[in-house]
Amino acid sequence: MKDLVRMRTSLKEEIERILNEQIKMEAHSSAIYLAMAAWCDRNGFDFSAGYFYKQSNEERNHMLKLFNYVSDMGGHAISPEITNVPQDFDGFRDVFELALQQEIAVSNSINRIVGTARQLNDFATDQFMQWFVKEQIEEEYVARRAIELFDVIGEEGVGRYMIDKAIPKITYGDVEAQ
Amino acid sequence: MSNTHRLTELFANTKGTTYQCDTTNRIIIQFGETRVSLRISDFLTFKKRVDSVDIHTMIFNTDDAYDVEVIDAPRTGHLFVLGLCDLIALRDLLAGTRFVLDLNTLLNERLYSTLVF
Repeated sequence: MKDLVRMRTSLKEEIERILNEQIKMEAHSSAIYLAMAAWCDRNGFDFSAGYFYKQSNEERNHMLKLFNYVSDMGGHAISPEITNVPQDFDGFRDVFELALQQEIAVSNSINRIVGTARQLNDFATDQFMQWFVKEQIEEEYVARRAIELFDVIGEEGVGRYMIDKAIPKITYGDVEAQ
Repeated sequence: MSNTHRLTELFANTKGTTYQCDTTNRIIIQFGETRVSLRISDFLTFKKRVDSVDIHTMIFNTDDAYDVEVIDAPRTGHLFVLGLCDLIALRDLLAGTRFVLDLNTLLNERLYSTLVF
């Protein structure tokens, strides 16, 4: 008897489900960053707004990468419904703290996918997710560094203006190679 | 259904039987007088639709609208109109079918994965 389920897809049901959850999470992140960009624009933090627009695009690209993978493997990729996007924030620093929390949540979720893929011997998904594991190192570094700038520069006087200018310049990489 | 099609019975209960056709790569659901043939992806979608019906509401809501559930079998042009007992029987039939399909995947993985035809 033919194995029709396996002929359709190489993804196990559980893997397909958690990848679709991750698609939704990345889309949600993209929407949150967009709301942060708008908030920064409204409050005169022009450089930070640009940074969050860029982050929003990145998250959407992450979502598409996952979406294409599920589809290419014969799975059912679900276009996510996004709700509960915060539109207002308590302050400049809070925006960046929330951004870091979001990145940490994404990292944890990606780690869980890798763990499940290994448990189910799905080495293709494990390998595929390694790109995201690496990406999250950078994402978390950048988000953490942004908060550090608030402590290093200080918010008094022209502090916020200086922080805003410094935000887009944050890069992650090997210091010696730079 | 032509007799030349190779049908393997997957699961049966008091209300129906499911088969796999290895010629057309389809799952055939015989439920009461109704017979539909679904691609595997449509079968999984159909199962999700059947599983998503809120049986609790059907039981406890006295409104006539909750007495039957109408479920579309994807790409067959057929609608299943199900009362509570039929719905439970169909759910059982599809769950049993899914179990056999998964068991078959497991057997293929364990027994035949080293063979090249």
